[in-house]
Amino acid sequence: MDSHAVATGALYGYRNQKSSSTNNFFESSVTLETFLFYTLGAVSVGSALMMVTRRSPVMSALYLILNFFALGGLYLSLHAQFIAFIQILVYAGAIMVLFVFVIMLLNLGDEKKLNERFSWKKIVGAGLSFGVLMELIFVFAFSKANLPPSHFEKATDIGTVENIGMQLFTTFLFPFEVTSVLLLAAIVGAVVLAKKKLN
Amino acid sequence: MVDQALLSLAKFLPEITLAITFCLALLVGVIFRSRPRLSMWVALLGVVVSIALTIREMGITESVFSGMIAVDPFATFFKLIVGSSAIFIFLFSLYSAEVLSTMKRLVEYSSLLVAMTLGMYLMVGATNLLMMVLSIELTGLSSYVLAGYTKEASDSSEASLKYIIYGALSTGLMLYGISILFGLTGGAMDIYAINRALVTSPVNPIALLVASLLIIAGLGYKISAVPFHFWTPDVYEGAPITITAFLSVASKAAGFAMLIRFFKIAFIDSSAVGLPAGIWITLQGFEWNKIIAILSVLTMTLGNLVAVWQNNLKRLLAYSSIAHAGYMLMGLAILSDKGIAAVLIYFVVYMFMNLGAFYVVMLVSNKTGSEDIDSYKGLGFRSPFIGVSMVIFFISLAGLPPTAGFIGKLFIFASLLDAKWIWLAVVGAINSVISLYYYVRVVRNMFLRDPDENSGPLKFSVPEIVLLLLLVVPTLLFGLYYSPIVDFANASARMLGVH
Amino acid sequence: MELQPYLLLSAITFVIGVVGVLSRRNAIIVFMSIELMLNSVNLSLVAFSAFLGDVTGQMLVFFAMTVAAAEAAIGLAIIISMFRNKQTVNIDDINILKW
Repeated sequence: MDSHAVATGALYGYRNQKSSSTNNFFESSVTLETFLFYTLGAVSVGSALMMVTRRSPVMSALYLILNFFALGGLYLSLHAQFIAFIQILVYAGAIMVLFVFVIMLLNLGDEKKLNERFSWKKIVGAGLSFGVLMELIFVFAFSKANLPPSHFEKATDIGTVENIGMQLFTTFLFPFEVTSVLLLAAIVGAVVLAKKKLN
Repeated sequence: MVDQALLSLAKFLPEITLAITFCLALLVGVIFRSRPRLSMWVALLGVVVSIALTIREMGITESVFSGMIAVDPFATFFKLIVGSSAIFIFLFSLYSAEVLSTMKRLVEYSSLLVAMTLGMYLMVGATNLLMMVLSIELTGLSSYVLAGYTKEASDSSEASLKYIIYGALSTGLMLYGISILFGLTGGAMDIYAINRALVTSPVNPIALLVASLLIIAGLGYKISAVPFHFWTPDVYEGAPITITAFLSVASKAAGFAMLIRFFKIAFIDSSAVGLPAGIWITLQGFEWNKIIAILSVLTMTLGNLVAVWQNNLKRLLAYSSIAHAGYMLMGLAILSDKGIAAVLIYFVVYMFMNLGAFYVVMLVSNKTGSEDIDSYKGLGFRSPFIGVSMVIFFISLAGLPPTAGFIGKLFIFASLLDAKWIWLAVVGAINSVISLYYYVRVVRNMFLRDPDENSGPLKFSVPEIVLLLLLVVPTLLFGLYYSPIVDFANASARMLGVH
Repeated sequence: MELQPYLLLSAITFVIGVVGVLSRRNAIIVFMSIELMLNSVNLSLVAFSAFLGDVTGQMLVFFAMTVAAAEAAIGLAIIISMFRNKQTVNIDDINILKW
């Protein structure tokens, strides 16, 4: 038994205790997990908002990277170690570098105006999004009965590299192979589109 | 595990052929740099072989690769549709001025067309949410690139950008829907497992509605159903005609196959007993067929009404193809095997007539460089054969006898009346009348208007005419002698795991 | 910790992403907003996966990341080829085709 197991055991002990008094959620003492969730959640929402509202694409990209790191932290607190590291390596490390690279390559200035124009599309978009948000809150946040029973205690074992690798090369072998074709098509496509002169 | 994968491979030869062809076409292009046409022939050959292997698969009903993909008559049918339209597109490309003007990129063009075909082959058989996403993406990514293939033309890269923004948005929505469904069903990804979970422990209908609406957003984008159609006219106009034709037939067919399979398997009440053969009912408290019916009404009405105002023939055909998606959605809304069979019949017919119409547009724009409706003035006199063929395709698209289009519509409406969906049939009939107006408008331009002063007759080469005949003859023939396709469609309406 | 807060967080960031896609004019930022949407989907999948004790959700996340990477590569390539033609990445400016 290492210290990790002891710590998670303590976490579940708290969980079981709390499940009897779910209604005073905010009164209960703050555990590491809830603390992480609210801190990282706030960072993630804040950086998402900043990303969408910045004029400069570089600033947006940097806030998006911050968002990805916050999500990586949340994945860790959900015991999804492999996904958390892939999140940092692939998303923050590779995809966002690509974005920043393109922004630098095109040498874009700031956007002069940030949507001051009154556009019906924006209104409809915001309205629809708001509607969906409300609906989702209704569906998820206020009706626990909708959700299947929790087996969080099993979570520690499933997100390991070993387990993910096992799944990837057994049940998910075929999709894994399909992604190779997908990536090859993407490579060919990106070269065709971005290469300056082929004729 | 390994044995099972190897066994699955034997049932998977058409797709393997396409995957190999994709790589081979690229390699041939790299090795024989000076002869880019060679890789197009390789690609064409690969697709022909894959069709031959698909025909060999007929009648098999099996699930392969741990439940990821179904090989069943339904999938086989759509593979044949997708494969044969791919062959037509390759043949069109051999005569397309647009495609041949960028000769050096012919290698990428051919190989990406093969990749797109492979994506659609996977789409029609996908029985797992993950496979659905991956195959949609494979098809999508290849088509985004192909839509912007003639990137010198600014229209083309713009079409591409619009296509990928809408595409990525709808993929995002669909993934979100999938994640909700995944949570609601307690971790099910296989569509059969989803159905089992939903039948045994009903979930909140509103949550299910949100999830399925989000998934419809992803699939509706593929079949360009209103209100997910915004990309269609621009992409169809901006993309090279060969690609437009391929998107309008094959991409739509694959999208329909996935939509039908997903809804028919995941969201019907499979525990219901005592139903007449060939009829199914929706899950308790979730009548998704109403959603489909509403989508279908919106789709055909908007498609037909907006098509009336179009002056660019590619745009006109884009809206007309939206309207056709609406007709076909009616077949799904009535929840019967008859309706599904009617959709399949419609697809055979639609392939010939729509590819034919696009082919004529391509031939004319090769010569005149324009797709404007005005450039068709007096086409009937400048090139009688082309003019008459176009009239046949348009009569068929409008659904009038004695063409195949009539048979397609007939079976859809018959199945609607059979299932007592009178109001939907009436809406469909009114729409057919509206569509007649804009088809006739083009025909009038071709035959009742004199050509411009300085335009002489248009001459076309023999192979071009032969290719046109390959499309005209079935369009006429299936209007008179339709029992083979009806039998084939009835036999193909069977899906894996549904009785 | 309960499941709902995670789903709520995921819904909120998803909506922020959708609003970004619909309201921003800079094509690069539009693509970043799409990445944000895909990420919030991943969050809800990982949360479901953890609370259900089922690895399938994490596998879907793994594949969703692959798809997102491929999509981003193609999208940025299209933006570059667009920029060569028009010297702009603003969606309004490049719109010679009608919506």
